[in-house]
Amino acid sequence: MSRQTNPQTKYSLQQRLVLAFGILLMLFLGLTGLVLNRAFQESIAASVEERLQLQIYAVLGVAEPDTDATFFVPDLEEARFSQIDSGLYAFIFDQYANEVWRSPSAVNMDPMDLYVTAQNITPGQMAYGSTQTEEQGPMSFASYGTYWSGLEQEFSFVVMESVAPTAAEINEFQSNLWLWLGGLAVFLSLAQFALLRWGMMPLKRLAQDLAEIEAGNKEQLGEDYPSELHNLSHNMNMLIQSERQRQSRYRTTLGDLAHSLKTPLAVISGVVQQDRKLDKKDMLDVSEQVDRMNQIVSYQLNRATKSGQSKMLITPVSINPVVKKICAALDKVYLDKKVKLEVSVSAQATFYGEASDLTELLGNLLDNAYKYCHQQVKIQILDTNKSVQIVIEDDGAGIAEQDRHWVLERGARADTRESGQGIGLAVVLDIISSYGGELKVESSALGGASLRVSLKST
Amino acid sequence: MRLLLVEDEDLLRAQLVKALEDNDYIVDSVQDGELGLFQANEFSYDAAIIDLGLPKMNGIDLIKAIRAGGRVFPILILTARDNWTDKVEGLDAGADDYVVKPYQIEEIKARLNALLRRAAGFAKPSLDFSYLSLDTAAKKLTVSDNLVELTAYEYKVLEYLMLHPGQVVSKMELTEHLYEQDYDRDSNVLEVFVRRLRQKLDPEESLKPIDTVRGQGYRFNVPPN
Repeated sequence: MSRQTNPQTKYSLQQRLVLAFGILLMLFLGLTGLVLNRAFQESIAASVEERLQLQIYAVLGVAEPDTDATFFVPDLEEARFSQIDSGLYAFIFDQYANEVWRSPSAVNMDPMDLYVTAQNITPGQMAYGSTQTEEQGPMSFASYGTYWSGLEQEFSFVVMESVAPTAAEINEFQSNLWLWLGGLAVFLSLAQFALLRWGMMPLKRLAQDLAEIEAGNKEQLGEDYPSELHNLSHNMNMLIQSERQRQSRYRTTLGDLAHSLKTPLAVISGVVQQDRKLDKKDMLDVSEQVDRMNQIVSYQLNRATKSGQSKMLITPVSINPVVKKICAALDKVYLDKKVKLEVSVSAQATFYGEASDLTELLGNLLDNAYKYCHQQVKIQILDTNKSVQIVIEDDGAGIAEQDRHWVLERGARADTRESGQGIGLAVVLDIISSYGGELKVESSALGGASLRVSLKST
Repeated sequence: MRLLLVEDEDLLRAQLVKALEDNDYIVDSVQDGELGLFQANEFSYDAAIIDLGLPKMNGIDLIKAIRAGGRVFPILILTARDNWTDKVEGLDAGADDYVVKPYQIEEIKARLNALLRRAAGFAKPSLDFSYLSLDTAAKKLTVSDNLVELTAYEYKVLEYLMLHPGQVVSKMELTEHLYEQDYDRDSNVLEVFVRRLRQKLDPEESLKPIDTVRGQGYRFNVPPN
């Protein structure tokens, strides 16, 4: 079963939630930051304007014009008007944009910088603006137009203030703002991650439990899942259990079927062998047909009982005890041969499949080895991470090189074989192919055949 | 040789009984596991043939129960399920060999013969004692390499004694293992067989291969090769 990476399954549930909430969080915090920043800037700008306006009124309040259209302005309350380059400057322009007065603080100001501010302005109107000066950097200013009835002239009062302090204030606010929002983002991300993990834990546990069942360490899922998953786990347990029961019922039925088909065959066979009236040829014919029927029944029933079931239901089988049991059984059957058996099986060698399949596989291969050996049989089971190799050797006549592929092919289809051959190898090949393994026939150092079965480990 | 046959299929059981009796075995046959266990516990057998699929008590349980009761006679399993799980289970339970159904009668006879002599400690089909050699497959006796004709009963007596070498075998035991249950057990007949056997094995009466142990029975006293 290959897992395709289509967009629907590419991301895990957790990844999806983290990604979605992450994007949402960033958007939310970003927008919040922008809105707050804007509001702060607007309020700063408004307060700057208000301040400038107040200063203009302060200058207006004390300015006294002379008849020659100049102004006398006594000391202003605001000390910064008196300090040179203090950052707060006041000017008065006449209607021809000639400067008629400037505050002592503005002594060093370049008249060119004031050009933009020296505009005509309708009396009674307040105008705001900003400009870039050579020496003081960016400035904001407010101009106010007045009509001086005694002088029959219009004047504009200008107060100019360096932007630097407010800019610094804005900068500080901004860095504070983003720092807090950043911190909040980190905290919320961590909290979200932790909450998701906690929320996803039952699903993760479900996956782990299923893996445990697959690995054969557990029989079924636990019952302690949250209510949303309870139905699912309960149903899965039912499914696993009923599938197991179905398998075992199936086996029993097939076993009974074998029994009830073969007993009549045995009776027929017995009748034929004991009936002295039958002529020899008829007897052989009937025997041959009975033998064929028996082979077909055996082979097909063996095929049918062979599992090929889903991995979910498989309990890994430790190979060592199975080998020991089969060898003990064969030692009894072939007692007269006094077979010298050499076994090297690592204690943890494991077969990932049905126990009956392993018994059938080893039983047939070892039976052949015992049958065809002279006196020695050697079993090696090599368990690497990737595969399990079962090598069974004997010191018998062996299988000639040109016959090897033929042995494998003939074994492959028992129902087309000639009578008189066992179905053992056919069953072995069926089992191996159902587990995606392979069988190799080689020569053994002992002198006979060496059969090597390779099975995938997982 | 007295055999116990436990097989539930009537026709098959009848066939087997006939085939075995034709080969001079004494056969007690029953059709279920419980009766099988009763027979095994009550009587003395040389071997048993047990079908694995039995009513009342299945073959595996029967074999286990027989072994648990301390009976050591060889057991041959008959099984219709030609798979290794069942064979291994049967052999593990205490059986000694198996035959898969449907079988050739000849195969059963050969396996049985092998089990009987193996149980007595003989690895080959012929029982060799010094100058005496009994071929259990061909049922032929050679004395100092000369073929000697035996009647069926003489053969049975000699085979039984040879399979229990050095042991005292009572007349009772001999009759039990050589005759049907309802046979008129006249010990004089047995004495006649033994006398004839002695003549055939030891015409000069110098080697005396069969001792008479007074009041107890007979003992085959030739050391095995």
